[in-house]
Amino acid sequence: MNLLWRASLRYLGRHPWQMALSILGIALGVAVVVAVDLANESARRAFDLSMQTVTGQATHQIVAGPKGLDENLYVKLRRSGRLPASAPIIEGHLAYAGQTLRLLGIAPFAESRFRDLLSHLPDEAEEGVLRQLMTQPGAVLMSLERAQGFDLSVGQSFELRHSGQKRQAVLAGRFEPPAEQKAVMRDLLVADISTAQELLGRVGWLSRIDLILPDADAAELDAIRELLPPGARLIPAAARGTAMQKMTHAFSINLTAMSLLALVVGLFLIYNTLSFSVLQRRELMGRLRVLGATRSDLFRLVLSEGLLIGTLGTLLGLLLGILLAQELVQLVTQTINDLYFVLTVRELSLTPAGIIKGVLLGVGGSLLAVVVPASEAALSPPRRVQDRSRVETGARRLMQPLAWSGVVLLILAALLLLMSKSLAAGFAALFVLILGFSLLTPLWVSLLCRCGAPLFGALFGSPGRMAVGGVQHSLSRTGVAIAALSIAVATTVGVGVMVESFRTSVQQWLESSLQADIFIAPDAPSGTGYETALNPAVVQIIESLPGVAGIRQSRPVEIQSGDEITRLTALRLPKESYAGMKFLDRPPEMVWPLFDREQAVIISESYAYHHGLHAGESLELETDQGRQPFKIAGVFRDYETGQGVIKMRMSLYRDYWADRSIHSAWLYLEPGVDIDLMMERLYRLVGEQQALHIRTSRILREASIKTFDRTFAITHVLRLLVIGVAFVGILSALMALQLERSRELAVLRAIGFTPRQLWGLVTAQTGFMGLISGLLAIPLGLVLASVLIFVVNRRSFGWSMDVVVSGSVLFEALLLALFAALLAGLYPAWRMSQTPPAQALREE
Amino acid sequence: MRAVIATVLIIMVLMLWWLFIPQPAEPPKANSVVDMLGGEADAGFERAEQPRTFRFPQDHGAHPGFRSEWWYFTGNLETAQMRRFGFQLVFFRNALKPGEVDGESAWRSKQIWMAHFALTDVQSGRFHAYERFSRGAIGLAGAQPEPFAVWLDDWSVRQQDGQWILHAAEKGLSLTLSLVPLRQPVLQGDAGLSQKSAAAGNASYYYSIPRIRAEGEVMVGDQTHRVTGGVWLDREWSTSALGEDQAGWDWFSIQLEDGSDLMFYQLRGKDGRADPHSSGSLLLPDGELIRLGAEDVKLQPLGYWDSPKGGRYPVHWRLQIPSQGLDLEVAPVLKNQELDLLVRYWEGAMDISGTHAGKAVRGQGYLELAGYSED
Repeated sequence: MNLLWRASLRYLGRHPWQMALSILGIALGVAVVVAVDLANESARRAFDLSMQTVTGQATHQIVAGPKGLDENLYVKLRRSGRLPASAPIIEGHLAYAGQTLRLLGIAPFAESRFRDLLSHLPDEAEEGVLRQLMTQPGAVLMSLERAQGFDLSVGQSFELRHSGQKRQAVLAGRFEPPAEQKAVMRDLLVADISTAQELLGRVGWLSRIDLILPDADAAELDAIRELLPPGARLIPAAARGTAMQKMTHAFSINLTAMSLLALVVGLFLIYNTLSFSVLQRRELMGRLRVLGATRSDLFRLVLSEGLLIGTLGTLLGLLLGILLAQELVQLVTQTINDLYFVLTVRELSLTPAGIIKGVLLGVGGSLLAVVVPASEAALSPPRRVQDRSRVETGARRLMQPLAWSGVVLLILAALLLLMSKSLAAGFAALFVLILGFSLLTPLWVSLLCRCGAPLFGALFGSPGRMAVGGVQHSLSRTGVAIAALSIAVATTVGVGVMVESFRTSVQQWLESSLQADIFIAPDAPSGTGYETALNPAVVQIIESLPGVAGIRQSRPVEIQSGDEITRLTALRLPKESYAGMKFLDRPPEMVWPLFDREQAVIISESYAYHHGLHAGESLELETDQGRQPFKIAGVFRDYETGQGVIKMRMSLYRDYWADRSIHSAWLYLEPGVDIDLMMERLYRLVGEQQALHIRTSRILREASIKTFDRTFAITHVLRLLVIGVAFVGILSALMALQLERSRELAVLRAIGFTPRQLWGLVTAQTGFMGLISGLLAIPLGLVLASVLIFVVNRRSFGWSMDVVVSGSVLFEALLLALFAALLAGLYPAWRMSQTPPAQALREE
Repeated sequence: MRAVIATVLIIMVLMLWWLFIPQPAEPPKANSVVDMLGGEADAGFERAEQPRTFRFPQDHGAHPGFRSEWWYFTGNLETAQMRRFGFQLVFFRNALKPGEVDGESAWRSKQIWMAHFALTDVQSGRFHAYERFSRGAIGLAGAQPEPFAVWLDDWSVRQQDGQWILHAAEKGLSLTLSLVPLRQPVLQGDAGLSQKSAAAGNASYYYSIPRIRAEGEVMVGDQTHRVTGGVWLDREWSTSALGEDQAGWDWFSIQLEDGSDLMFYQLRGKDGRADPHSSGSLLLPDGELIRLGAEDVKLQPLGYWDSPKGGRYPVHWRLQIPSQGLDLEVAPVLKNQELDLLVRYWEGAMDISGTHAGKAVRGQGYLELAGYSED
């Protein structure tokens, strides 16, 4: 055994580059998987912790519509004597010095059984904190860390902003949360409920009432429900968290799938390296068999090599992954804030599960990838010198069965897509598709070589023909390298086409839906739109402005029922804005009369998809007057949210909900009115009342597209990483190939090839491989794009979009493949041309 | 009197402290407690410096100009089958700061309320005690003169059709009584001004309604008992505290079958000696009110009860007022009537027997023992 291992180590030691590249490939693959997993997990954990901090010991909650609960309900419940363990809560977000802070308004006497928020105050120097909290308007508690960061001392006044309005606060005390809650409580403000109502502009209202009902049976819950007014609902405390997590579900699945893609490309790499190493040692293996090594010895040997490379790569990958995750988590958080809700993730949570997952994928995947080369090694007959051509003949014989398995996999992928409607099945199909395609690659390469040989011959003479021939004759190597590169390039094509299509559709949608001239909304942090409103005085000013032809007013809200959160937007629409809505299944003349006059709503495509709803059917919503049915007047195209939105006319909304606020307004100006002058005027008139975002539609469109691009920033990063892994793959494959052929090349040198010619030969060969990869990548990329657009996107978000394939994306793909191949061929080519023929011959 | 200003002050201070530590509470550190309350608040409060004119029903309501105030209902109840119950329902008001509140929110309040509800079930030998806290705002807790009401959540005493309806309930326990006062309010101390320690203003306004007829229901578990009995109401409001050297008090309220009502509180110094400011009153059946000073009353403990939580309470007494020919033995109906709440103290139903002006007499009453627990 000693001998075997020595032989193995010696071989590995003599090919450090190959080993290093394999390790790097695996490392990159594992790194991406681990990083994405960590980023997802950190976001989830931050979310859980923040829910836990604010939910505390509550088992149930009483919640209501967008406006919240009438505060007198709490008094009624307390005085009924039915709910001694109940605590009123009002919460919302405020901004200070560019930071978004979450304000939790509590009733200290009801609190202690629910949360231990007040237990983190230091003993000393916090004189009469509670007295101050309860009696002094504006008194808030802040984390010590934040207070120090803001340079605020106890007793100091400062100005918070809510919904663009200034609010005077005073720092009553600083709490120091325990380590595990530090991240969650850092951006928390705690105040008495009176102060919180005033700071949030919600005097008279509660966000919810928390209850502790540990072993309440259905009858007891029903008895409590009987005390509630219509519109107020008793729900389990966990329901809201579940509902919120549901929103980000599709987003995190998409990220995970992208990261797995990177790993798959990495596995191709390890497969390639090890099967090459086996081939290169075929003579050695034969001799070892003669010396008594059994088949299983050799199998184990190669498997161990794979394990070694896999383990080293995985370890490196874990480290890289953790580093990468630091960056990725910022992008993930940004996206969640842009699209879903306010979430601060400051700490990476390194969970054992995440690390174990990375190890299993890296090491397990490597073992899987190495089974074929290991079997190849085990099959080495004793002593018999297996020449290259024999191996290649074998490989070519395998070509057809491989191609057939590829076809079977493609059929399987199609079946997967047809049989299941789930997102996971969509991704599974995507991977099966890629695998099937890669099995077909050798066949395609062989075919393309046959066509390419005369072409390259005509272009470059006999070295050209030799280059093409070389690719075909080393099909067992080149096939894998080409497959890896084409998958990587196809991924970029697929994702590129999808993003491009998506972006174009979004752009068109923005163009048509943002036709108003000026947009006005309170200046508030992203993710807090549901709790901000235009000051009524501002609305009044806007409504009486001369030069305005029409105003579109909107009030977006979130309605929770069961464990689902529904987004609803109430709209007051001027006639000018009707044209901006594109309905998918009914002509607008049919939709608008219903929307304007009936108890009807319009729903976005996503909402319709997720709920299986169509125009003409109806849906139910939890209103302040209980559950009510609404007809669906039409389904409109919308890319605002992935889980969909319902729109309703303002007057209908106000019939059912006790909420009069307006979140934002779009102004349609009369012809000839100067937009800039009007904006200046607006600032002058309303600037005193409230800090506002006043934007022209053009700027808003640009900002929306920017948000869109930011959302896909992660996708771009992952795409680059996948290409990086593939690049390493092709580099190592080419190095192996060229090194393997060094004897052949030395012969060429010996018979008169100049180094320059040799260099040309190698370059032509790598170029040809790049070209083939690029050509193969384009159809696969388009198929991937279709799956992403029609399956993944649809199932994740319910969006449909017009497919846009620009020539530039395809051309870029070709160029990318060519460039990657040529770049990867540089070093082997240089090395070959530099090696004196005698040495190369001797080395063999 | 038990209603020594400092009590509530201390209770409130401890309550503040309790809010800052998760339950179960650690024994509070006296210094931090005092720090937390701060010393600034006195200036704007009214003080009990001289006798005032009491008006009813206005004075049944709250006096928010003073720092603290309470409505103290204690009573002995009995079923037709002679099953004995004792109860205590007390509402404490404490102002965090003097003056009106600022701001728009109806929740902001300077008034904190605390209520204790205790029930002594002699037959089963069990004593139950509960406490509640709330702010005096938005209708969660408060007091009003007309129609009279004092409440915290669903614990309340409310005037309805000329009667006061007292109600308190906890899981598996409920008490509902209708109350009819049989006496006019008795002004304690100097026409209602009750001096607690030597410094001027260290006093309270104090009145009692010593005899109130009660009728209603006690529910224990799933059993409901019809009961009748007698209730004592103590009302007191003040701003300033006990002197520094005062440690606690023993408070007696006694209703004798011959129609006499006796109230006496003995203030104790830290040295364990009776304080000269101890005081009380004896209301004779004919309506004559006799003021009692420290020197008029002889008190002698006859028996003790050791709390498992620590502290030794003198729960059995001999009370003598030689000038009135009164010699009474005051014995607890149950030894363990300790309220193990945020502030731990003993308050329980008592049986009275002895002689008054040479005649044998029996009665019922309540005893409060404060300042004996070690925490």
